[in-house]
Amino acid sequence: MAVVAAGIVSPLGFGLEETLGALREAKDCVSNVTAFPVDRCRCQTAGQVANEPLAEANRYQRHPERLHRVARMMILALKEALEQAGDSQPELTVVGTTSGGMTFGEQYYRDLKAGRRPSRQAPSLIANYTPQKPVMDAQEAFGIGAPCQVIANACASGTNAIGHAFNCVRSGRYQRVLTGGYDAISELVFVGFDSLQASTPDRCRPFDSERSGMVLGEGAAVLALENLESARKRGATILAEIIGYGISTDNFHLTQPDPSGSGARRAMEAALQSAGISPGEIDYINAHGTATLFNDAAEGKAIAELFDGVPVSSTKGMMGHSLGAAGAIEAAISILALRNQLLPPNINFRHGDAGLDLNIVANSSRAGEVRTVLSNSFGFGGTNASIILRSVAA
Amino acid sequence: MSVQIAGMGWVTPLGSGVEEVWNRLLNGESASAESLSSPLGRDYPVFRVPASATARAPAHPRLRRSSAISRFAVVAGLEALESAGVKLNPEIAQRTALVFAVSNGGVIYTKRFYHEIVESGVQAASPLLFPETVFNAPASHLAAILGITGATYTLVGDGAVGALALKMAEDLMASDTLDHCLVVGAEEADWLLCDAYRKWRLLRSAPPVEPFQQPPRGMIVSEGAGAILLSSEGLAAASPISIEKIASGTNFRKQREAAAAVEAVFSDLCATPPDLVVASANGTFIDQAEQTAIEKHSPNARVYAVKAPLGESVGASSLWQTICGAQALITQRLPGSTEPVSLRTAVVSTCGLNQQVAGLRLTI
Repeated sequence: MAVVAAGIVSPLGFGLEETLGALREAKDCVSNVTAFPVDRCRCQTAGQVANEPLAEANRYQRHPERLHRVARMMILALKEALEQAGDSQPELTVVGTTSGGMTFGEQYYRDLKAGRRPSRQAPSLIANYTPQKPVMDAQEAFGIGAPCQVIANACASGTNAIGHAFNCVRSGRYQRVLTGGYDAISELVFVGFDSLQASTPDRCRPFDSERSGMVLGEGAAVLALENLESARKRGATILAEIIGYGISTDNFHLTQPDPSGSGARRAMEAALQSAGISPGEIDYINAHGTATLFNDAAEGKAIAELFDGVPVSSTKGMMGHSLGAAGAIEAAISILALRNQLLPPNINFRHGDAGLDLNIVANSSRAGEVRTVLSNSFGFGGTNASIILRSVAA
Repeated sequence: MSVQIAGMGWVTPLGSGVEEVWNRLLNGESASAESLSSPLGRDYPVFRVPASATARAPAHPRLRRSSAISRFAVVAGLEALESAGVKLNPEIAQRTALVFAVSNGGVIYTKRFYHEIVESGVQAASPLLFPETVFNAPASHLAAILGITGATYTLVGDGAVGALALKMAEDLMASDTLDHCLVVGAEEADWLLCDAYRKWRLLRSAPPVEPFQQPPRGMIVSEGAGAILLSSEGLAAASPISIEKIASGTNFRKQREAAAAVEAVFSDLCATPPDLVVASANGTFIDQAEQTAIEKHSPNARVYAVKAPLGESVGASSLWQTICGAQALITQRLPGSTEPVSLRTAVVSTCGLNQQVAGLRLTI
């Protein structure tokens, strides 16, 4: 199953090239939140997508004022992907998100509470706040009419979307599927994680013994998947293959992973089984690595039990956790790792956790022989997802 | 690919249980509207699920703090499994997927959580409420109660999302790793939704809902859940109903383009005209779009619009329509008709309010 195109917008930059540059430089793209007041929050930082370049998306919409920021991100990510994929129409689109255009819903509610008279803008806020709207805006911008399955499996959404899209193509039921994920920072979600004390006032330090939580991020990424033979036949550039997908549900708690790491482990094992490969064939793991105490302990334990010294990094220290977009963004980063023989860095790492026997790619990117990558995403609700990508030359 | 419906479950403003609700519809009953007051001084008519309808919800710790949507989903999901004679032991649960369709999700807790932020500042934000605002919280509760440990997906969308969830389930069932897929659609009503639909000029000020009337006078917001269990052959109680085809449809940009999108779905599903169309007509622009498609592709079919007696339950609505189609084929009866009818095929048309269109075809 071939990935024939990819596009990405994240705090690391716009497009694959900028993203690669940021990964090589181990750039810290987390900054103070400016979109809403955070002075009473425990955490005051996030990975944020620059607003100015997003304006380019406006030219693809007749009414750009109606576009949510995250729709703009999605438009630009899709634009980059379509420039590689050509004009082949997908039969299906499967994307992940957690909150779509949530800030429009927030604005609607604030207007309501403030007793402001319903403006002409109100119906537009309602129509464009829904989680499915950004992907439909993006499709509309480029004349794509594929039906959209929008998966909202919390932080695993993006990887679930790619995994389901992969299965759709692999089963032979579809030839071409567009997939990815998107999410933008909103006050409701930011304060929500802050209220749980899941986000940190410190830097985000995945797998560090002194980790104290996550920071949020935002962005969008799109992958175009195609049956490998059909892609080869039409001479498409194949960026990578997706060869395996695993999903599991652990019923331990609504917000906490099973501390035994069994849910994470089952997802990874299922992905390996789906790919028909052994743990020893994985060269790099792009971990979920949120830097919360519970996630990293459970995920780290599962990785340490299954794999023997495979290089591991979480790229969330550089750009925050973009929730429904995270799995898609990290899949794009995994493709960059495969194509550039690069191990992406796990920044802000100071001290290894004595309880976790992991080979962390600490602080700087480094060169490595990367033929096969496993990428993890785990979310609220006990959803766990893993995908395996392989370089085409392998 | 044809898939078998093995079991169904239903929670509606007319009560719960497929047999009970269907009989009440056959008897010509409609849900009674309850007035939902917004703190801003406006009242909205809403079709709500009576407390008695969820009395069968299990006393599970996961339901202690959960929102109404989760209870609706659990009751409907359990009924679907029970009616199919499927008991989920750990081995079967591992080979069972859950696909959950939702539109507005846990809107009551989401509104409450954000309201506290707006009114009292971020320090008032409740860590107990926030997890319930996440779209997949109801699916997580249901999976925990059923012991499902494999694939669980929450799909979000508009009124067509239930049909898209059935399509996803059909795709999942193509894998030999699954024996069953439970598809649940659920929604809960809140004044905030009514306010939003009113501003969108889609809401009616009082019942009745009058599908296919021109000009359209609007819909009534409703709540509840629908559940459909799809099973591999021989692994559940024999069911006479198959989903012969699911059309994932397309998206429309503007309301006036809905007719073309609905027609594309009918064109896909009506190569042979069906005996029955279960429409998603709800008293809005959707009605005209469906009427045009019905006149062109199945002019002689009987048409039933379940959103007249039960209202618009958005995320649950496609499942409700599918249950109606299946029940009509099984009982050879239709609400509004005192005589038995002869029905072998039904098309379920699902056109949402926010750009999505899909549909499916049932046979007996």
